[in-house]
Amino acid sequence: MDRKIFILVVEDELEVMEALVNDLEQFEGYFPIESANSSEEAKQVVEDIYAAGNEIGLVLCDHVMPGQNGVDFLIELQTNNQQHNAKKVLVTGQAGLEDTIQAINNAQLDHYIAKPWTKEQLEEVVTAQLTNYIMAQRYNPMQYMMILDSVRLLEYMRTHKITDH
Amino acid sequence: MKLDTKQIVGISIGLLGLISPFFFQLEGLSDAGHVALGIFFLAAAYWMLEPFPIYATSVLVIFLQVILLSQQGFLFPESTAQYTPDDYTAFIGTLASPIIILFLGGFVLADAAVKYDLDRNLTRILLSPFGKKPGSIVLGLMVVTALLSAFMSNTATTAMMMTVILPIMARIGKTDPLRIGLSLCIPFAANIGGIATPIGTPPNAVVIGALSQQGINIPFGEWMILATPLVVVALLFTWFLLIKMFKPEAESIEIDMSGKFNTSGNAILLYIAFAATVLFWVTESFHSVKSAIIALIPVVFLTLSGVVTKEDIRKLPWEVLWLVAGGISLGISMKSTGLAEWIVGSIEWSSFGTISLLVVFAGVSVLMSNFLSNTVTATLLIPLAVSLATSGVAGEGFNLIIVSLVIGVSASMAMMLPISTPPNAIAMSTGTIQTSNMAKAGISVGIFGIILVVIYALFYWPFILN
Amino acid sequence: MPTKAFSDRQELLKFIRRAITESPELQQFLRTFSKDEVLFRQGDPIPHLYLLLEGEVILNHQREDGTELDLITLSPGHFIGLVAFTTGNHSLTTCRCTQNTIALCIRQDEYETIMTNHPKLSNPVQKLMLSNMADRFQKNVQLESKMNALNKQLEDEGEQLKEAYEQLESSHQKLVHQEKMATLGELVAGFAHEVNNPAAALLRSSEMLKSNFGEMHLNDAFSQIFKLGLESKPVSSTDIRTNMLQIQKQFPWVKERSQIRKLAQMPDEALALILKHKKKVGLDQMVQQFESGKFIHNIQVASERIANLVKSLKSYSRHDNNEWEEIDIREGINDTILILSNRLKYLNVELDLKEIPKTCGKMGELNQVWTNILVNACDVLPNGGDITIKTKAESDFKIVVEITDNGPGIPEKIIDRIFEPNFTTKNQGAEFGLGLGLAISNEIVRQHGGFIKVSNLESGGASFKIILPVRDC
Repeated sequence: MDRKIFILVVEDELEVMEALVNDLEQFEGYFPIESANSSEEAKQVVEDIYAAGNEIGLVLCDHVMPGQNGVDFLIELQTNNQQHNAKKVLVTGQAGLEDTIQAINNAQLDHYIAKPWTKEQLEEVVTAQLTNYIMAQRYNPMQYMMILDSVRLLEYMRTHKITDH
Repeated sequence: MKLDTKQIVGISIGLLGLISPFFFQLEGLSDAGHVALGIFFLAAAYWMLEPFPIYATSVLVIFLQVILLSQQGFLFPESTAQYTPDDYTAFIGTLASPIIILFLGGFVLADAAVKYDLDRNLTRILLSPFGKKPGSIVLGLMVVTALLSAFMSNTATTAMMMTVILPIMARIGKTDPLRIGLSLCIPFAANIGGIATPIGTPPNAVVIGALSQQGINIPFGEWMILATPLVVVALLFTWFLLIKMFKPEAESIEIDMSGKFNTSGNAILLYIAFAATVLFWVTESFHSVKSAIIALIPVVFLTLSGVVTKEDIRKLPWEVLWLVAGGISLGISMKSTGLAEWIVGSIEWSSFGTISLLVVFAGVSVLMSNFLSNTVTATLLIPLAVSLATSGVAGEGFNLIIVSLVIGVSASMAMMLPISTPPNAIAMSTGTIQTSNMAKAGISVGIFGIILVVIYALFYWPFILN
Repeated sequence: MPTKAFSDRQELLKFIRRAITESPELQQFLRTFSKDEVLFRQGDPIPHLYLLLEGEVILNHQREDGTELDLITLSPGHFIGLVAFTTGNHSLTTCRCTQNTIALCIRQDEYETIMTNHPKLSNPVQKLMLSNMADRFQKNVQLESKMNALNKQLEDEGEQLKEAYEQLESSHQKLVHQEKMATLGELVAGFAHEVNNPAAALLRSSEMLKSNFGEMHLNDAFSQIFKLGLESKPVSSTDIRTNMLQIQKQFPWVKERSQIRKLAQMPDEALALILKHKKKVGLDQMVQQFESGKFIHNIQVASERIANLVKSLKSYSRHDNNEWEEIDIREGINDTILILSNRLKYLNVELDLKEIPKTCGKMGELNQVWTNILVNACDVLPNGGDITIKTKAESDFKIVVEITDNGPGIPEKIIDRIFEPNFTTKNQGAEFGLGLGLAISNEIVRQHGGFIKVSNLESGGASFKIILPVRDC
């Protein structure tokens, strides 16, 4: 597949961004990772990725950031035709209930990770969300069997009439 | 649409193939034959290089024949001495040919079976007698897989069976060769199992479609009588091979399959429809109701009862039907334009013996379908074999039905590479096996398959057909 | 005037009495009423005009709710039913005699005839009537002004009540707030204590890890790159992207994107080191060594951050025992800034804390003042900005703390109201009891003997000046 599916990590604290990216290393062979330190930078990165003919499969976004906050950024992504398919995960240390509800309603937030996270938890969420993405986009599931949720991908192949020719 | 270099090359080669016959006057080939040859080149190039999805090429093939070769086309509105053009309905009618309807019935049944988990529950029941020894488990898995894939898509069967073996794999040692054996037994059994019935896999449809063009009808049951013994032997050999090549270390393995048959009204209707349809198909020779007509039973029954909904119908793999129809229609013009005859006539066939011809066809078919779609392989080879057999130049033993079977069956014996068949690709994608594992076992199965097909073509099939 | 009117009336009455005595025809119009007799009732039509000659009557009005109100007591010389007589309306009052009474009682239709026939009577009656009218007008005027005065008094009392209520509300809020802060203070103190131990252990362990790791290296290249990792600084994602392109050129044999990213975060020295040793030592191992150094460094930085936060939390809450003591206000300001560091991190906070004398105060409460003002400033600067905090001693007795921001300033409309209790321009979503309002801040400063001066800067933004006296405890 020539069209690359990116994971975008948006986090303003550099140490935290680095930790997130490091924990996602195992996905990098299939889903290249890009990072941004602010919503504004993230928008530029998103634009560049699509301009290069690639796409974004998953956004992991911090909540409290200078400038536009994470929830608003995700809402903006959601309203964009091109990018609204991307799975959206809010990574946050301090969201109140109101913000979360807003994110779920308006950005159609797919998941919510509370800081501090564990590597297992993060991998589980990312695996599940990327699996959802691949199935929702009807991409060939076979090339992702080793990195994503193979049972769900097989079940998808069983029920989606992929045939023998 | 953005085209990459590979696509551009493929498209160019195809177009070049389409127009090249116009630049040469081939002796003994009619004008229409030149056109048909061009279309054949284009189809071959597009099917093999796949610049477009293969079902798209199939529709293109039908379309090109309609506009170039039919009575309603540009080039041959009138009959000439050399070429009496077919009505365009002959080409588009392939989309509703009996084999297509038969497949449609199979699709609807399989779709409903998956929807109500019949496949999974059958697996659970059928696997239980095979105990806990790794060897017998592998055999059990292969038998069940082959049985299911005879009536369902090989790919869907493989996907389902992989979900059965993934938990087993998690329990056995990381270095146990059994892992490889398990991963390979499923796709191999699915490939082989597809041979068993007319609806098992599309190459069978191409064979049956081509034969019916020649006025030969192969009833469902007869196909099974011809193919099943071969499937059983091939399956046993493959099992033996895998157990020997990848000797299991584990003493016993546990299969944990919990589940219950769906007992809703709809599910019961499906079970009845499934059983009845299969029963009528298998017994076609006794009641002589054509299998395509029987295939309408599940379609009518399941749609009327709402077991299969509009959404389900929408999601059927229609592209497979297009693909097969395209293949059948290509055969029509090759015959009517005299192209097939011309190809046959240009080679000195009598210098080959019957056996060597069978070996060549089986070998080429296995080889080609290792790299190409099985259906495409059958589609490209069968017109050749048909004209060879009907022209009689290849001698007495070269029977039309037998050579078609050789090609069709051999096309399903290709399982050397991950790209050979979708089931292979699925097994490979789980990451438990190396390409070298698959290649070693796949080559052995392929070679054995060629030998097996030739033996059946020489002894068993003539015996049954006579 | 009333005296004159009264004497005039008596004079006129004399003339009238005389006229009646002289004319027997008129005497027939005299009527005598006994005590408590009713002349007419409220709502009745009044066919007569009465002129009171002897005795006294009382006019009584019954209100809609049924209660009765005595309106006026009339003495001789007054007309009764004058309004009804002139307008023809029904009576608005009930007229009752309080003693035996004699009145001249003339029917309306006879009035003209009688007056024409008895010129002696007509003149004084008309004059008396006029005097009656003037009298009533005067009373009306007096009444109006009295009513005004009453209204005014009522308003004043209402105002005082409101003020009292507001004061009550403010002290209630303050009490609630104090209670909240006391609980919070206890919680925070406990929390800080609990966190301190693991934070200390973390800090110590990372130090040990650093030295142990440093000594473990046999290979010179490893120890060098490890040290570089220890000193490394985090790299922004923009720089990472730029560097990654560079790395791809510099290390064309490295294909894995995650590895390229790691290299992109290394300083040039480390890259040079890797290139220098690339024949002998594997790139993966070098990267790993560098990363190890970096991780240890990150642990150290993070645990130091925790330790500092805990320290300031403890000191911020320590003073919440609400004691008056000698304090250096600057300590409190520094603690507050640390506590608010999460809110302030995107702002440019400039400190200019000049030497100021100690004063007597409650540190915890004053910290609330700084917190309130700073949180408000954060709220008006959602996209970053500058905050300046200055302290200075204006004399030996006066400390000034000035907090300014470069936000939009306070609208002139509300600048006078921001210290009112319950005044807010934002949702009441205060974070764990912070920023509960400037009213409390004002109250706290007032209790310290000082005041807050709010103004908008000419350059834009708001300025809060807290002026406190220097006092001994």
